[in-house]
Amino acid sequence: MFALTELENDALIEIFNIGVGQAAASMSAIVDEPVAMSVPSISFVDRREAARLLDSKDPEAERICGVSQHFEGAFDTQAILMFPEDKSLEIVRLMVGEAVPLKELTEMEQEAMCEIGNIILNSCVGTLANIFHHELHGSLPQYHVGTSDEIMNASGSQPDTVVLMLHIDFVLERHQIRGYVAFVLDVTALHDLKEQINRYIARAMGQE
Amino acid sequence: MTSPKTILIVDDSRVSRMMARNYIGVLHADWNIEEAGSGEEALLKARSVSPDLILMDVNMPGMGGMAAAEQLRQEWPAVPISLLTANVQTATRERAAALGLGFVEKPITEARIATLLATLTAA
Repeated sequence: MFALTELENDALIEIFNIGVGQAAASMSAIVDEPVAMSVPSISFVDRREAARLLDSKDPEAERICGVSQHFEGAFDTQAILMFPEDKSLEIVRLMVGEAVPLKELTEMEQEAMCEIGNIILNSCVGTLANIFHHELHGSLPQYHVGTSDEIMNASGSQPDTVVLMLHIDFVLERHQIRGYVAFVLDVTALHDLKEQINRYIARAMGQE
Repeated sequence: MTSPKTILIVDDSRVSRMMARNYIGVLHADWNIEEAGSGEEALLKARSVSPDLILMDVNMPGMGGMAAAEQLRQEWPAVPISLLTANVQTATRERAAALGLGFVEKPITEARIATLLATLTAA
């Protein structure tokens, strides 16, 4: 059974908090408005339950637009950025401004969401890599639309695999758009992450 | 005031190319702006347009931006090249510095493009 000590858990949340803080800053620069974020929450669940957790965050959003990237190096993780599907065009509009006609905007929606996901996920994961002093290599972003269950299944292993679900909500305050970032790690990756966390704690205590 | 230049934007994201093009166009309406969607295309395009400046994404399908920049640096040692990337990792910044490349993180904003162009044209 995988478990974290209280100190490891605290360090994990703090590290991801810093990473998501950078991601929120990037998101804010993209949409040119303040972005508020929640404290990261951690659950050890199977993928089905992870999808249910996402559903419970916004029961009104039937379909989700997700951009996922696989990262490997210090630890392997699937990072996923999610928004309600009906908000994605609005986000792209905030990114590119009013000058682009709606038809062209609609055509580039998927590509633009991929780029937004790329920027936000790399901003967060890059910050984690810098904290861990260990490089993380990212795949190209992939775009998915569907239920949270479909998004989770599209982004990785079997539904009953136990994963660490670390998710953070953020809100574009002026436009009342809510999004989520989730990191999914399998058991092997969890042990690698735990090792990185302990190195971070040792450095913080001047022991390395 | 700078003389008109040819700038090559290399990014697999059409949206990012479009945004960079718009911001450069606002700052330097008389510049010739060329685009490439991959590292391979950047090498071919550079040979045909002889750019004065190059902006390069890192994470692209096929030849990545770092490998493309390395080749471009060998062919055009005097042309300023800057990475314009979402990859904010220290390792990427250090690799860029070792190759003599500039580094600007995404998202692309008008202010970042203005600072980047001022740096590159002063180089």
